Parts: sequence; structure tokens; C-alpha cells
Amino acid sequence: MEANEILAKAESLRNGLSTGFRDEIVKSLYTEAEQIAKRAVKTSVDKKYDFDQKIDRLVTSPYTGLPIMLGLLSILIWLTVSGANVVSGWLAVVLFGIGDFGRALFNQIGAPWWITGFIWDGVYLSLAWVVSVMLPPMMIFFPAYTFLEDLGYLPRVAFNMDWMFKKTGAHGKQSLTMAMGFGCNAAGVIATRVIDSPRERLIAILTNNFVPCNGRFPTLIMLATVFVAASFPPALTSLVAAATVVGVVLIGVAFTFLASWILSRTVLKGEASAFTLELPPYRKPNVSRIIYTSIIDRTIFVLWRAMQTAAPAGAIIWILANVPIGDSNLARAIADWLNPFGYLLGLDGVIILAYIIAIPANEIVVPTMMMVYMGAGMMVNGPTSNHAIFDLLVNGNGWTMLTAINLMLFSLLHNPCATTIMTIYKETKSVKWATLSVVMTLGTAIVVTFLTASIARLLGWV
Amino acid sequence: MNITFWLLLVLILLVVTFLPRVGLFAVYKIYRAAQEREQMEDALKHLLDREQQGRHASPESLAGTLDIPRGNVMQLIENMETQDLLESRGVELQLTTKGQRWALHVVRAHRLWERYLTDEARMPLAKIHGEASRREHSLTEAQLNDLDAALGHPTRDPHGDPIPTREGTLLKAEGMPLTAWQAEGPMRIVHLEDEPALAFEQILAAGLRLGQTIRILDRNSQRYLLTDGETEYRLAPAVAANVSVAALPESEVAKASAIPLAELTHNQRAEIVILDDAVQGFTRRRFLDLGLTPGTVIYPELKNFFGDPRAYRVRGTLIALRKDQAAQIWVKPVL
Repeated sequence: MEANEILAKAESLRNGLSTGFRDEIVKSLYTEAEQIAKRAVKTSVDKKYDFDQKIDRLVTSPYTGLPIMLGLLSILIWLTVSGANVVSGWLAVVLFGIGDFGRALFNQIGAPWWITGFIWDGVYLSLAWVVSVMLPPMMIFFPAYTFLEDLGYLPRVAFNMDWMFKKTGAHGKQSLTMAMGFGCNAAGVIATRVIDSPRERLIAILTNNFVPCNGRFPTLIMLATVFVAASFPPALTSLVAAATVVGVVLIGVAFTFLASWILSRTVLKGEASAFTLELPPYRKPNVSRIIYTSIIDRTIFVLWRAMQTAAPAGAIIWILANVPIGDSNLARAIADWLNPFGYLLGLDGVIILAYIIAIPANEIVVPTMMMVYMGAGMMVNGPTSNHAIFDLLVNGNGWTMLTAINLMLFSLLHNPCATTIMTIYKETKSVKWATLSVVMTLGTAIVVTFLTASIARLLGWV
Repeated sequence: MNITFWLLLVLILLVVTFLPRVGLFAVYKIYRAAQEREQMEDALKHLLDREQQGRHASPESLAGTLDIPRGNVMQLIENMETQDLLESRGVELQLTTKGQRWALHVVRAHRLWERYLTDEARMPLAKIHGEASRREHSLTEAQLNDLDAALGHPTRDPHGDPIPTREGTLLKAEGMPLTAWQAEGPMRIVHLEDEPALAFEQILAAGLRLGQTIRILDRNSQRYLLTDGETEYRLAPAVAANVSVAALPESEVAKASAIPLAELTHNQRAEIVILDDAVQGFTRRRFLDLGLTPGTVIYPELKNFFGDPRAYRVRGTLIALRKDQAAQIWVKPVL
């Protein structure tokens, strides 16, 4: 009864309030805080403040700001890709060694071949593959990214890039979630939490997949090296390959802007929400916190989700490769059946099949393709030299330049991996947005590859 | 391919048609009921509107507003009479107490939706009336109370119309039509009528907005010439009648000597005077959270390559704002 009376009293009082009373409340809170701070905090004339200002002018000026930004991003990606290669190799040796040991053990105790195959060549191999390809780049990328974050540099990037995002109806901080997407799209989707306005956050979530994550980089690099760079003199190969990958990334960025622009004028229509961005003072990075957030919060988290989806995929891949049909296997049969559709997109049935199986994790696309092309019973690395890969694909399986280019485009634009879809669902709490993220990207990939294939064929290039 | 097949097909069709709740027939019935309810609620709104203007509604005016044939109107009136929502005396229609409560509920739903669509969903002003008209029929009393609380119990919708309280009191609309304003000097726009939509679009297209301070430069039978001190606005008299104005409140007097934050030159210190009334909901909360309260000293410290956004030093931290947001914060330069 008491409580109801108080509520009724509040209700009647509220009607008499002036419209600005909320402003007054906040103002009084700040006044109070100011007074406390004045008593408790002593400020000396600050040298660090001037230093901060100097850095700020440097990183946001038109002449030095952009080069610094692009330079840092290039270093970040280069460190990740080249450093990860080395560690991946070591990890693969160890993990595949364990696989060999397990297989030998199973053979010794006389387990049937299909149990050994299913467990070690299917489920385990897929897990080992995903871990060895995925873990090293994340172990390098995430700490480096977190370092820049902790330093206070990243908000300046958002500040610099905002004008472009504003034009497409998005938020400047989307540049940060895109950068995070290079490491992993699922992590990029989680990173959109820094965008406080819901509409702009959804745009960032839905378009994050147009940035190739490091699960897709190996595919892009392999294709750029084997196909595009091969026709250039040897001295230029790595430069051309790098330029090609950068080109693909830029196409992805262009699609991000295009999709943001379309989204903000259709399903996510409305005026731009409040853009407020705090530019914190520069800090000395805290190493233990960097290691904690990048390894525990990001790497382990993403890796665990990827492993959950990679294990069943490994099982399916093994079954497909080991169920005989005629003198071939189920995988080959499905690939042949998918061939006409693949042809329309300038690809082939094997690639489509690999992408369907690899929905859990993009890392296993190439091994699955190689498995089917080589008629192997489990995922394989493929030939070791670039020349042999070229030979297998072009002379053995009818690839052309169009196949390589369209595969790069498809890899860039196609649907998010299962981990990312799951993350989008968890972040938006909506089946609708998760579905849209798949339909939009897959639709774009199919339309674009269909167009390039048709145009190339009409003009007689292939 | 025989009797069994056809029997099965017919059976499936029957099930699809007559299944309770999700069958075609049931769905159609739900749809019809919703349509009827919407029509009835629109009629209630019309009656309330007339009552507020001190006029009586008639079957003709109702048919005109709802855009339905006269025969259907009589049917509708009869239905509403049996439900004790209105009384007809001759050609005059009047709301009963029950009818009035319901009408107020719908108006409240409409205006709360408009507030929500503007402040939280950030929908363009020209679009909110139509969207709110579609959504106003679907909320229960309890849901409305929740929405009201979530929006912070707003008192006026984005057009300046008062929002009925949960007890059902409706304040009088503020101000008078621009065409009736006689006094000299500046005045404040307190209401923009959103019906008819065509006139509202002209008001928006001219660039006028709620809370703006204006002055009449010249008026004749052809047009009204208005100014806010910088831009000149032209309105046809028929459109001008849809703009309501009132005398300046205290806060506006303060604003008169202030300039928008966006126009502050580099490193020029200034004191925040007031946040524009046009900033509400999410954006206003964000500004206040960041400490952009009246009396705070602020100055632009950092420019983007393209001049937008700019970063402002306020309370020792650096906060970047886009130009259109900085234009909504009024400041007074200090030395």
C-alpha cells in the first residue's frame, strides 16, 4: 500500500516537471563530481599532454596520417601471414605426428580400418588442420591488434576514416571492426560491440564478412602466386602476388562500402545516429592485459568455436571420400553432379562441394579440394611445388585463369563460416539478421562470379 | 496415381484451409478482425480530434476521414454504438466515456510510437506519421506503459502535440497558428501539423523544424516570408496555418546570443549554453553522458583530413563529433 502511494505520488509529480529536468540532473552530478575532483586531484602543468597533442597532429594530418595508417596495417598483415607460416609448419608436424601415432596404435590393436579412418583421418585430421592453420595467425594478429588498441592509436583510425563511413551511412568505428575481421570475422563481429548505435552496429556486423579473414588468406595467396604471378618474371613474383592479394582486399573493402550504403538506404533506413568517439590519451601498453585479452578472450574463444564445427565437418569429409560409388567415391560423384552449377559461376563442382563442406571453417577448403582432385581418402596438402599445383589444376582438372580469379572472388564474397554465423546470431539475438548475413553475401558471390564468368566467355577470353 | 492420391490431396487442402489458428480460413478471420478494429480506432481518433477542436463529428466527416462509402459508415457507427463507444444525436456523433478512453489510448500509442521512431530508431521526420499509424493499433495498455517508461515519460510528440498520460489526461495543444500570430518580434515553433502529409512535407522541405526561433519578415495573401536570422523561409498561407507558434521561453532567450559548436573556430574556447531541443532520446543521453552539460568549457582541438568530424577537448578528454551533431550544441565563446 505504501509503495503504491509513493508511486502514485511520483506519477502526479512527474507531470509537473519541466522538460529539461534530466539535463539538470546530469548537470548537478557533474558539478558534484567536479567539486570532488577539485579537492582530491592535483594537476601539475603536464608535459605529456603536449606530447599527446603532437602525436595526434601527426597521426591525423593529411600528409602523415594516411601513410602511417596504411603502413601499420600492412605490417600487421605481413607479420601475421609470414610469421604464421613458420609456426603453422611446426604445429602441423607435431599434430599430424600425433595423428600418425594414433593411427598406428589403432592398427596395432586391430581396430577395423573404417574406425581408424573415421576417427584419425576424418575427425582428428580436420581438428588438427584447423588448429594448425588457424591458431598461429591469431596468436600473432590478436596481440598485435590489442597492442595498437591499448596504445590508444585505434580510435584515431576511426577518427580519420569516419568521413568515408559517414557517406555510406555507417560509423567510423567500423574501420576497426573491419581491421579485426582480417584476423577473424567472428572476432570482428564481436568487436562491433564498440559501436554504440544499434543501426550502425548492424551494418558493421552484416558487412564484416567482406573482409577476408586469415582462414581465407592462404587460399588467396596460393592462387595469386600460382596463377597470377606465374606469368611474370621470377624477380617480380612475390611483388605481383602481394599486389594481387591487396587488390582482392580492396575489392572486399569496396563491397563493404557498397553493401553498407545499400543497407543504410533499405533495410536499415534512417538518419545517422549519434557519432561520438572518445580519443583517449596515449598509454604505455600493459603487456599482461594484452596477452590476456588477445589470447583468452579472442584466440581461445574463436578457436574453440571453430573446433566445435570442424570436427563434424571432418567426419563428413571422410565419409564422402570413402564411400565407393562405381570406381570412384561419393565426393567425386557429388562434385560431378554439381559441375553444371559450378560451370555457370566459372568454377567447377569440386570447388562448390569444398565450399559446402567447408562452411564450418574456410581453412579446410583447399585441402578438401586437393583431396577430391587427387582422389585421396583424406584431406591432403596437395603438391609441394607451385609448378606441380599448376599442373594438377590446369592440365589435370581443366582450370583456367577464370577459375582462379573467380575462386578468389568467391572466397572473398561468399557466406560467413559457421562460427561467424553463430556469432552473428548470438550478437544480434535474431535469426533474421543471421539469415540476411548469409543470403546477402552468398547472393553477392553468386551474382558477381556469374557475371565475370559470363562476360569472360562472351568476350572469348576463355 | 489414383483415388488415394486425390483423396490425400483433398484432405491436405481441407486441413490447410480449416486448421484452427494457422489455417487459411482462420488467418483470414484474424486479418478481418484486425481490419475492423483498425477502422474503429481510426474513427475514435477522428471523433476525439473533432471534440478537441470544439466541433462535432458527423457521419459525413467520418466517411471523409476514413475514406469509406457512406453505407459502411452507418454500419460502423451502429457497431460502435452497440459497443457503447459513441452516441449519435441526430447527425452529431459524440464519444462516450468508454469511447474517449479508448481513443486516448490510440492517440497515446500513436504519439509514443512517433517519439520512439524519432529518438531511438532515428527515422526521418517525414516518415514517422505513416509508420506510427500502422503500429498504433497493436499495443496493449501495459505495453504502452512500458514504452512510455522506456522513453522517459515524454510529454510531447516530435510534432509538438501533447501525449496523453496513462490516466488519460490530455493537455491542450500549445501555441496558435502562425496565421493568427499578431505580435511583433521573435517566436518559437511549438507544433508542426502532420496532416495532410503534403503540407507537412512542404514545411519540412522549406527547412522549418520544431523548436526553431523565427520572425515574420513579411506576409501577404500569396505567401509568408519568415527568417531565423540567417535563412529565409517561404510558406503558402494554407501551409503556414499548419505551423503553430508561441512566445519565446527563457531558454531561447539564452540561445539567441549563442552559436552552434560546429561554427567555433579552431582552439576557440567556449562555454556550452544549451543542447538543442531537436536532440532527444539516444543522442541527448549520449551527449550528457560525455559531460556535454550547460556551463562546460569546450574547444575544438583536432581536425580530420576533411574537416569532419572534429575532436573537442572537454573536461580533459578528447571527444570527436560529426558536424551535424556539433551543430546541435549551442555555445558562447569565452576568452
